[in-house]
Amino acid sequence: MRGLGWSLKGLGRHRLRSALSVAGIAISAAMLLDMVMLSGGIEKSFAELLLARGYHIRLTPKGTLPFDTEATLSGAGRLIAAIRRDSSVEAAGAVLGTSLYSRRNDSLVTLFGYGIQPEAQALYTLESGHDLGPADTTGVLLSLPAAHLLGAGLGDSVTFMGRLDPQVVTAAVGRKLVVRGIVRWVYDYRGQPSVGTVLPAMQSLAGQRIGDHVSLLMVKVREDTAAALVAARLRTAFPQLEVNSVADLVRHFKQRLVYFRQLSYILASMSLVVTVLLIGTLLTITVNERLGEIATLRAIGISRATVVREILLEGAVLTLLGSSLGIVLGLLTARYLDSILTSFPGLPAAFSFFVPRGDSLTTAALVLLLTGVLAALYPAWLAARAPIAATLRTEAT
Amino acid sequence: MSRPVLLVRDLSKQYPMNHEAVHALRGVSLTVQPGEYVAIAGPSGSGKSTLLQLIGGIDTPSGGTVEILGTPLQQLSDRELTRLRLTRLGFIFQRFHLLPVLTAQENVELPMAEARVPRQQRRQRALDLLRYVGLADRAGHLATQLSGGEMQRVAIARALANRPALLLADEPTGELDAATGQEILDLFRRLNQDGTTLLVVTHDERLGAQAGRIIHMLDGRIQSDTSDIDSAATPRHHPATPR
Repeated sequence: MRGLGWSLKGLGRHRLRSALSVAGIAISAAMLLDMVMLSGGIEKSFAELLLARGYHIRLTPKGTLPFDTEATLSGAGRLIAAIRRDSSVEAAGAVLGTSLYSRRNDSLVTLFGYGIQPEAQALYTLESGHDLGPADTTGVLLSLPAAHLLGAGLGDSVTFMGRLDPQVVTAAVGRKLVVRGIVRWVYDYRGQPSVGTVLPAMQSLAGQRIGDHVSLLMVKVREDTAAALVAARLRTAFPQLEVNSVADLVRHFKQRLVYFRQLSYILASMSLVVTVLLIGTLLTITVNERLGEIATLRAIGISRATVVREILLEGAVLTLLGSSLGIVLGLLTARYLDSILTSFPGLPAAFSFFVPRGDSLTTAALVLLLTGVLAALYPAWLAARAPIAATLRTEAT
Repeated sequence: MSRPVLLVRDLSKQYPMNHEAVHALRGVSLTVQPGEYVAIAGPSGSGKSTLLQLIGGIDTPSGGTVEILGTPLQQLSDRELTRLRLTRLGFIFQRFHLLPVLTAQENVELPMAEARVPRQQRRQRALDLLRYVGLADRAGHLATQLSGGEMQRVAIARALANRPALLLADEPTGELDAATGQEILDLFRRLNQDGTTLLVVTHDERLGAQAGRIIHMLDGRIQSDTSDIDSAATPRHHPATPR
């Protein structure tokens, strides 16, 4: 190092001040990292959630998104058969979502019911027990919260009802089902009591059997890259349906969460401004204190370029130290904030707001480093422009 | 006669102060030959420090010219002037101005690092110079761990780092007690005997007495100049010997 790192060694001269600055930068860096993770993380997490079981395309009633409304589409069996004829399609299944009821002791409990086709399902993973067979019209799968709510375990029989009569709170349709397995429903929010049975049984409970009504169809294509092409083909084949690939759904989602992104941009910008002010202020104070030293260095032949480089290096090192600490802090706070946000009702428990990714870490680190160097520009300019003779005269008095 | 190390012609400097011009220097001319030991004396405000700063190229004159080894400073760019200060001149200040975060050796290495002297070579030379000024055993000490006299000796070693043609010192004993000041004066005498050309601004009468030539200044003008070219030393081979 040409300058022997005199500027860096200077950081150790005011340890408390340097430590406080590093702490301040770390907080700003943590905030920036969280905002970077938030701005891209929601979409990434949403896309991962949609692809959790490898299904690339959703077909819903025209003008709706999956489970966005209670609208259903009819003729599900015919549609599924038609879709499965496409050679690019690996699997296709129908899903009906509806409210279900049951009783525990004398209390009525409300549940969410999934009607599924076990041979082509994209909604759950089995945690214990057995999966349903395609023709198992007497079996049911429970989520853990549903099992707790119903006090039911594997092999127990539970009576489920659909379509309550609002006047007398009695069900028009009831069906006794045996618990075959405990599953984790991919799209359930935390603590959601959900149950699932084969589609015909659920359609009967929901009164949707006539007309073969379902909430949505899910399609898995053989090659990931063909998803957009297959979606376009399905859109042409079924103009009465809304056809969305995962990319389409992510785009819709992004539009809905545009305020979230704006908020993250604003907060990220604020954290950068705070970083610039912190580093700029610290280095300006340091340079002002060292003007005599700097004038001496210039007098003995140290170039402006060396002086500028040392000050910029000092800014970069402060930023690096603060950023390293900030990344750890940011990851910890992201985990904490995520646990709060994902406990909001209506959000899938598997969903994440803050997704740590290599590119977000790199982006945050590079932006911070650049900010640190930029923040050091003014103090570096001050140092380089210090009039040598006048400064030495002032120092001597 | 050899080419002069320093040639000053009709040098003047004015400072604006409260909308009036203060004349710090008024038409100063002087020549310094290689190996001379010149003391510039005079009361405060006589312009001696200003003269030193103009000679050292750290301030710009209002008029006149300064030539170091035949190079007119006024024609140099800022970068060239900085380079000249690095390689041709050595500065010693009243308040030492060492970098407190660096060791004695690192302080001496600093100008050599800037001049891109290879690391091994500059370390060796820094140790040689510290040995020359009697501080070999203090090489690893931070500047803040040194006494005033030791700091000034390190500053002298730093000024000698790139073998300057002219050593400029501004009140080098001003911050030191009598005994320590005498050590510095002895060191200056030895430096001069070893061939270093010295131009020293001082209030110290002892320094005036040992310098071969004394220039007295008053009100920005040279009042007297006891030129004694014969005192110019014959250079010997030594760490302090200029190129």
